[in-house]
Amino acid sequence: MRPTDFEGLLRRLLEARVDFILVGGLAATVHGSARATFDVDVVYSRSPDSIDRLVKALAPLEPYLRGAPRGLPFVFDAETVRRGLNFTLDTTLGDLDLLGEITGGGGYDDLLSDSVPLTLFGFACLCVTLPKLIELKRAAGRPKDNEVLGELQALLEERSRTDE
Amino acid sequence: MDRAKPSLDPVVAAYLKDVDRTLLRSNLRLSPEDRIRKLQDFVRLMSRLREAGRQAER
Repeated sequence: MRPTDFEGLLRRLLEARVDFILVGGLAATVHGSARATFDVDVVYSRSPDSIDRLVKALAPLEPYLRGAPRGLPFVFDAETVRRGLNFTLDTTLGDLDLLGEITGGGGYDDLLSDSVPLTLFGFACLCVTLPKLIELKRAAGRPKDNEVLGELQALLEERSRTDE
Repeated sequence: MDRAKPSLDPVVAAYLKDVDRTLLRSNLRLSPEDRIRKLQDFVRLMSRLREAGRQAER
């Protein structure tokens, strides 16, 4: 299994001006988490223009459904993205989760007010805020996230301590 | 007006007390971009170790 190229995947999306918000483990890393994550999770805009840019940006990376047997008639094009919603993909740059909606956060437009602009690799990138990330993890309700939530809560405390 | 702080789940609170805050403080001194690069280095190392383990088993 190849390690995910975080910078490579983000650059692809950012260079193509895809509208998305970074969420999940990589968002936690961006906020200072010390836990390892192995994929990139984004909530992407469902606007037709942005979907077109998304497909164009990712097509060269041969996106395929992660864990699915090879040979399925899966075509990563704008129609597939429009007809579907959430995609867990394997690409030549590693694992990428494209989320049209996320539990507790809704879609891209819903999440915009809970995102912060960052500069990553020379591009403006939106990342979900730390308090919202905590809310999303809580909403997911997965037992495995309890340990993560402990760390995110500690990060929130550390950040408010240094902001004081 | 201050919003009431949501109460912390007791399970999360149990994990919270054992979080190694020195790691967090060290990360908070880095830029978001450098935090991603640090993760990238770790993930690549993990991958190399996994591959080395596989080869050793052959």
